[in-house]
Amino acid sequence: MTMTPTSYQSARPTGRDGFGQLLLAEWTKLRTVRGWVIALILAAGLTAVIPIALAGTATSNDPVTCAHGICQAEGQAVATGPAGSAVIDSFYFVHQALAGNGSITARVSALHGSGAHQPVPSGFAPPPSTAPWAKAGLMIKASTKPGAAYAAVMLTGAHGVRMQYDFTHDVAGSVISASWLRLTRSGDSITGYESADGRHWTAIGTVVLSGLPATAQAGMFVASPEFQEAIGTGDGTFNSPTQATATYSHPAVTDSGGRWVATSVGAQSPSGGNINGNGQLNCNAVKCVKGPASPADSVIAAGGTFSVTGSGDIAPFEPIVDPLHVTFFGTLFGLIALIALGALFITAEYRRGMIRTTVTASPKRGRILVAKSIVIGVLAFVSGLIGAAVALPIVSHKLVANGWTPPVWPILSLTSGIGLRVVLGTAAIAGVAAILGLAAGAIFRRSSGAIMATTGVVVVPVILAIVLPLTTGTWLLRITPAAAFSLQAGVPRYSQVSNVCAPYHSCFPLSPLSGLAVLCAWAAVALAGAIFLLRRRDI
Amino acid sequence: MRDAVHAEWTKLRTVPSPAWLVIAVIALTVGASAMAAAIVKCPATCRADTTKLSLTGIMLGQAAVAGLAVVVVTTEYGTGMILVSLGAVPRRSVLLAAKALVVTAVVLVAGTISVLGSVLAGRILLPGNGFNATNGFVALSILHGPTLRAATGSVLYLVLIGLFSLGVSTALRDAGITTAVVLGVLYVIPLVSDLIISPSWQHRLDRWAPTNAGLAIQATRGIAKLPIGPWPGLGVLALWTTAALAGGWLVLRLRDA
Repeated sequence: MTMTPTSYQSARPTGRDGFGQLLLAEWTKLRTVRGWVIALILAAGLTAVIPIALAGTATSNDPVTCAHGICQAEGQAVATGPAGSAVIDSFYFVHQALAGNGSITARVSALHGSGAHQPVPSGFAPPPSTAPWAKAGLMIKASTKPGAAYAAVMLTGAHGVRMQYDFTHDVAGSVISASWLRLTRSGDSITGYESADGRHWTAIGTVVLSGLPATAQAGMFVASPEFQEAIGTGDGTFNSPTQATATYSHPAVTDSGGRWVATSVGAQSPSGGNINGNGQLNCNAVKCVKGPASPADSVIAAGGTFSVTGSGDIAPFEPIVDPLHVTFFGTLFGLIALIALGALFITAEYRRGMIRTTVTASPKRGRILVAKSIVIGVLAFVSGLIGAAVALPIVSHKLVANGWTPPVWPILSLTSGIGLRVVLGTAAIAGVAAILGLAAGAIFRRSSGAIMATTGVVVVPVILAIVLPLTTGTWLLRITPAAAFSLQAGVPRYSQVSNVCAPYHSCFPLSPLSGLAVLCAWAAVALAGAIFLLRRRDI
Repeated sequence: MRDAVHAEWTKLRTVPSPAWLVIAVIALTVGASAMAAAIVKCPATCRADTTKLSLTGIMLGQAAVAGLAVVVVTTEYGTGMILVSLGAVPRRSVLLAAKALVVTAVVLVAGTISVLGSVLAGRILLPGNGFNATNGFVALSILHGPTLRAATGSVLYLVLIGLFSLGVSTALRDAGITTAVVLGVLYVIPLVSDLIISPSWQHRLDRWAPTNAGLAIQATRGIAKLPIGPWPGLGVLALWTTAALAGGWLVLRLRDA
């Protein structure tokens, strides 16, 4: 008699090998190693403590001083804009009162740089004949007080037709070779138009200036911002005021019964040579900055054509020093700990032979690294988030106490746009850099090499960018994962302001989101390489 | 002691990673120095200290030097080899001294090649970028007093960084932790002190932080204005190295392997 052999089968239900189980396994591996849990806590602690300590030492040598609504910061006169932030509001304005709704139209036939240039020191390139952001066009402004709300359409030196309003907003026009401009007010909304021939008009945009008074000032303006150039590591700079002249023809204001008045808005001293020049500021009331004298504003009117010459800028004020960003470089200590943890999360498996068990349990090797990435990425993100969320309010408080005050340096909180971006950005850098460390760990299979390689591409470019010449430095900060540190910038940067962006002043060339994208791209490529190698190599 | 040194040398030369790291020291130092020399232009940056500039690569090469020292110690703990080593050389001071000697010798050789290569790259590349007689520059020469001091000092700097890392590795034992700590000292501290807003803290860090003080040895211009002189600066780094080695020695003596 024969018996059919039966194999033993456990009474326990069959285990599954879904991705959820893999995630759980990786989470268990991480949380049960005491040293790694300590590393996560330590990283959060370092991320919080070092920026706070740095903020405590960051005393401003040049605090903001304000009088009569005009402040002095970094040697410049700044006004406070409608949103409460610091702005540069200095230009030549030929205007008249516009009561209630109405419009202003004019043709801007020429805009070119004018006036004498300062001698250019050796080694510096001469400034372009017309400043790229020289502006000439039409404006409706609440008043001629610096910082007052406005909307404007303009021709620029090198950026085409723009509609700008309330300093921070900038919309590009679309009509090629437009020279006719129009602004129409209806209640609180103002619409900007452009035209090539004065008959066919294209709207650029409609903006709402809340609280615009019943009688606003409408007119023609010219501004030409200071030229800035930096060489070396950004420590050698050449600044020079510029001037532009624009010719306006056929200016027309609805119900025009008024006469044109010329005002040097935001002038530090009454400027000579202009008709009806009434400097709006008394130099004795405000601390005047001694600097190169601004070119004189002027307007020449002849037969309905106005030739207006002005200098200055109408733009948000970007301070050179960003104290919050500098203090948040202290988070790099915690970041290195998290990079190390990411690398160790896989290299420890190789060292202990655990990788064989892991691969036996999940023969689909690619999934292992994905699961590990998710676990270490989330935990590093949380560690960075806690550290940064604790640090930000305290750092912000200490910076204000040390003289970094509004309107130039905004008070940041977890609910403000910039504050939230800095905290989430710090956490995102931590999470993605830890994944980059993990990928490097899987590629090198040694913790030392993996941590060095990751730190080498994430942290070292920042310090190289500081010591290397400006062009090479900014180039490094565009292509390496270090680009992501722009997430930690404490002051906003605007494309319509062409300041020198020096790594030496903790200025990063890419916008926060593009910087993060660069870091993510590096992590994705490294992870793909790691998965490829893990599948190909023997373990 | 001789046998201990011989044993350490054998351990070092028979595994591939130290050889790769030595190549990395030379490649990173000379490569980065040559790049720095190739991209600066006079008259744009005529104030540049050409000697210091052509030794820029030390900032990258030091990472590989640190890696070498870390590998020499932590691999032994990682593989359990340390038990055999201590069995063969029970006197722990002797074992540490032997490791230090071997690391010193290797870094001296690699560092000398790197520094000579860097100065040569500067000598070849800088005149073409405007650092020539027209603008009042003479070609870099290793025989020129301050350049000789900067070059010799840079080699010594690398040796001290190697020994510092050796001390930290002996104290911490784990490759990952040691690498993270050493990189924090080599890169994050100078970065923070470069950007820190407080002038008094900047001055303090430039005088007393290991790499900031140590790299003062490379300066050949404006020495009077430096926060710390070239040799005193290297002395500060030597103090840090001594402290790290002493810490490593204490841990090695007191703690079970």
